[in-house]
Amino acid sequence: MPLKWLLHWQPNAGTTVNSQILSEVSQCVESINGAKEGRWKSTLTFYRPVLRDQTLQAEYPRDCLGISLQEQPNKYYFILRSQRIVLEADSTIQMIMEKLQSYKSRVSLYFEGFQYQLGDFQLRVGKVVPTHSENLRGIVMEVEYLPISSLDKSRQIMEDFVDIWQETVSKRSLPGHFMHIEPNFAEYGLSDHYTSQHTAVQYAIVMAQLIASVRN
Amino acid sequence: MECVVQGIIETQHVEALEILLQGLCGVPKERLRIHELCLKSGPNLGAVASEVRLLCDLEQPEPTWTVRHVGGAMRGAGAEQISVLVRTVVESKASKNVLRFFYTLGYKLDHELLRVGFAFHFQRGAQITVTVTSVNKMLKLHATEEAVPVTPGIQLVEVTAPASSDNYTEVVAAISSFCEYLAPLLHLSKPNVSAGVVPTAAAAAASLMSNGGGKTL
Repeated sequence: MPLKWLLHWQPNAGTTVNSQILSEVSQCVESINGAKEGRWKSTLTFYRPVLRDQTLQAEYPRDCLGISLQEQPNKYYFILRSQRIVLEADSTIQMIMEKLQSYKSRVSLYFEGFQYQLGDFQLRVGKVVPTHSENLRGIVMEVEYLPISSLDKSRQIMEDFVDIWQETVSKRSLPGHFMHIEPNFAEYGLSDHYTSQHTAVQYAIVMAQLIASVRN
Repeated sequence: MECVVQGIIETQHVEALEILLQGLCGVPKERLRIHELCLKSGPNLGAVASEVRLLCDLEQPEPTWTVRHVGGAMRGAGAEQISVLVRTVVESKASKNVLRFFYTLGYKLDHELLRVGFAFHFQRGAQITVTVTSVNKMLKLHATEEAVPVTPGIQLVEVTAPASSDNYTEVVAAISSFCEYLAPLLHLSKPNVSAGVVPTAAAAAASLMSNGGGKTL
């Protein structure tokens, strides 16, 4: 499948993300002739272990994330970031986890917004909001390059595109900038050939960044 | 949900059973070689203990994994009266690192089995699957190549069909009706309600073997 980079908005120190920035970013895409197509939404859920003895918490993963991706409606992904594990399963795995009652889903977040076509690129700009509130927690952008599935072969083109994109956004003098962190996919057992498991890992990494930004 | 009955048959009569099933089915059997790992939650995990099964299909060129959760059986006076077990089941395909995933969550291997045999699929009022397998245990951890039968000379027969809360009575009826075809060779009942081997099995098997295969019933 085509590869994608997931960028996230890094606010300047002392500032926070807001809907004005989201609006400006969307306008940026349209200003470079991105054709608005439709909506997209992915969901990320934090799972926590149910323990009889809370003092033994350290023995269990506290960073278990479940992800449902727009691009794979019948699949569900679990990521254990500390152990570098990404599991791909059918969406029925969520029902199994519910029946096991050993891990409970706590907070869920939506990554949602609009999709744009721009030549060989497909862009998705999205806000990050908790499922039961409109409280903006972050802004993300998926940059998908349709012709190529190889991470290595696409690197130069993606870097060039992101450079142009960063320049376009910087002209709006917004208090922050987009960042791209490339996970070490090999540590997750993933190859150069892009898959939805790579996407799930990128979402987990971005989530960690968003949490760190809020803390700072 | 699924409806299930089980029975046992002596290994010497499995060939006859296969002839009978082939005659009923008309489609070749599917070979089965499934490594089943039963995982249980560690002592501290979950308010109640939980169990999950991982099934690795070794018959495929690239082994495929399924996560299976078997829930409670239907209860009540109605359930007591029917001769077929009705229970909740949820399955999910998963990537090959699923064992490592569950270990990391805090699940432990309780036991593992290798099921070797075959399956036939029927559409007779319900989507019925009949599996005939020898159940084998591994002498060393995950050593499927060195598995030995748990009950030498005896194989397990399972008849299952998926069901929903809307149609389980029809599915139960379809299974009960189907089981009558197999009655000369084996007795099928709810799991954990053992009825042993059937006295007429030897004679029935002899009859099937002497008539030869390919006779469609």
